[in-house]
Amino acid sequence: MRKTSTLKAYAFLAPFLVFFALVFVYPVLFGGYLSLFGQRGARMWWVGLGNYATVLTDPQFWGGFGLPAFLLFVQVPLMLLLGIIIALLYERIKHSRVYRLIFYLPYAMPGIVAGLLWAYIFSKSMSPFVPLMHAFGVKNPNFITYPSLPWILLIIILWEWTGYTSLILYSTLLSIPKEYAEQAQLDGATHTQVAYYIKVPLLKNTVLVLFIFNAIGALQVFNEPWILGQLITLSPNYTPAIYIYNEAFSYGAFTHAIAMGLVLAAVIFVISFFFLRRSTKELNIHA
Amino acid sequence: MKLTRSLKYHVPSILFAIFFLFPFYWLLESTTKDNTQLLQGTFTPGIPNHFIHDNLIGIFAFKNGVFANWLFNSFMYAVSGSLIGTFLAALAGFAFRRYQFFGRKFLFVLILGFAMVPGFATALPLFVMFKNLGMIDSYWAVIIPSLVNVFGVYLMVVYWNQIPEEMFDAAMIDGAGDFRIFWRIGLPSIVPGFTTLVLLSFVAIWNNYFLPLVMLSSSDKFPLILGITTVTSLQGFPVYNLSVMGAFLTSVPLLILFSFMQRFLSPQLTGAIK
Repeated sequence: MRKTSTLKAYAFLAPFLVFFALVFVYPVLFGGYLSLFGQRGARMWWVGLGNYATVLTDPQFWGGFGLPAFLLFVQVPLMLLLGIIIALLYERIKHSRVYRLIFYLPYAMPGIVAGLLWAYIFSKSMSPFVPLMHAFGVKNPNFITYPSLPWILLIIILWEWTGYTSLILYSTLLSIPKEYAEQAQLDGATHTQVAYYIKVPLLKNTVLVLFIFNAIGALQVFNEPWILGQLITLSPNYTPAIYIYNEAFSYGAFTHAIAMGLVLAAVIFVISFFFLRRSTKELNIHA
Repeated sequence: MKLTRSLKYHVPSILFAIFFLFPFYWLLESTTKDNTQLLQGTFTPGIPNHFIHDNLIGIFAFKNGVFANWLFNSFMYAVSGSLIGTFLAALAGFAFRRYQFFGRKFLFVLILGFAMVPGFATALPLFVMFKNLGMIDSYWAVIIPSLVNVFGVYLMVVYWNQIPEEMFDAAMIDGAGDFRIFWRIGLPSIVPGFTTLVLLSFVAIWNNYFLPLVMLSSSDKFPLILGITTVTSLQGFPVYNLSVMGAFLTSVPLLILFSFMQRFLSPQLTGAIK
C-alpha cells in the first residue's frame, strides 16, 4: 500500500521543487509581470496588456510561423512516412541491428553541428557536390539560397531525427501480435499487403504522439535556422524563436520579447495539454 | 516472420545508410584538410594530411587556447547537470511512487505542464533575474537551469513504477527508515533507468545552445557548442578548417557516449515514450 505521508513526500520532493520553482515557476510569473511594462534600455513604464496587443497583431510575429508550418506539414509527414518504411525494413531484414545503429547516429550530433556540417556540405566554396555538378555541365550551382533554405532545413532535420523516429515506430511494431500478420499470410496476403493493411493502421497512436512532439519542436525551432543564418542573411523573424531572441538582444525590447515568448508558450501549451492528459492516465497518477 | 536477406530490402537500406553516414564521413575526411584543400571540395581525405598539424594544434591555439576552456566547460556543465539533475529527479520520482500525499496529482500535472513551457519563455526572465543578482555571465547561470530536468521526473516515475510494492514493504518490515529505503534499496534497483537518464541529460546539456547563448558573454565560459560558432577570423569570417576540427571534437565525446547508451537505450526508453 502506498503510504500516506505528506511530510515525507515533500521532504523528497523539496530539492527538486526548489530548483523547479526557481527555474520554471518564478521566471514564468516574473516574466508575466515584466511583460506588462513597456521598455527601452533601462527605462520601463506600465503598458498593461499593451505588449500583448502588439504581439497578437504583429504580422512579423505570425509571419515567423511560416517556417514551422512548412516543417510541420512537409517535413514531419515525410519523416513519419520514412520512419514507418524504415521500421518495416527493420522488421524484415536480417542483421537490422547494424542499420538501426547507423540510422540513429545522427541523433548524437548537436543540432548546431549538424547545421554547420550540412551548410558546409552544400556551400558554394566547399561542397564536394560542386565539382560533381560541374561534371554534369551545371555552371555555378548554389544550393543554399534564400528560397531553398526551407528545403535545406528539411534535409537537415530529416537527417537528424528520422533514425530516432524509426526506432520508436519499430518498438511499436514489435508489440503488434505476430498472429495478425501470420493469419493474413496464411490467407494469401503478401508482405506489402500485410504492412499496409494491418501494421500501419496499428501504428496510428504512435504516429499521432510523434506528430504532436514534432509539432512542439517545429514551433520552437531555433538552432538549425540560426546557424544557417550565420552564412546567409535571414530576416529577423525567420522563426518565432529567432524573432524573440532578436527582439530581446538586438533591439533591446526585452519586455516585448518576453510577451512574445509567453504567447508562443501558450500556443505550445495548448497543443501539449491534450497529450498531457493521456500520459497522466497511463502513469497511474489517479490512484 | 522469416527474416530476409533479399536484395530488394537491402538496397533502400543501404541508400538510407549512405544518407545518414555521409556527413560523418565528410566531417572525418575534412578534419584532415587545411583551408586550401577544403575549398577544393573532394570526397577524399586531404593529402598531405593536416589533421594534427594545422587543425588539431590550430584549434587548441585559437585565441590563446580558449578551446581547452570550452572543452572543460562542456564537461563541467554536462557532468554536474546530469548527475545532480538526475538525482533530484530520482528523489522526486520516488516521492510520487511511494507516497500518497496532499496535492499529489495536482503537483504532477503542474510539473509536467511547466515542462511544456519552452526554453526561451523562461530564458529571458531568467536572464533578468540573474542580471539583477549579478550572476549573469557566470558558470552558475548555466549550471542552475541545467539542474532542473522535468522530463527526467516523468521518466523517473515510470522507472520507479516498475519496482514492486513488495520490495518497499519488505524493507519497511525490516525497520528501514524512508531515506534508507531510497538510498539502499530503491536507487540500486533503478540503476539502468538512472544511468539512462544521466546519459540523456548529459547529451542534452552538452548540446544546449540557447541557454549559454543568452547567459554568457565571456568566451572563456562558453561550452564547446557555443564556442565553435565563434571560430572566426578578425574580420568575422569562419575559419573553415578550424571550425571543422571544432565540430569534430565537439561530436566525438557524444559518439563515444552513444556506444554506451546503445545498450541501455532501446527497449526501456522507447516504451516509456509511448
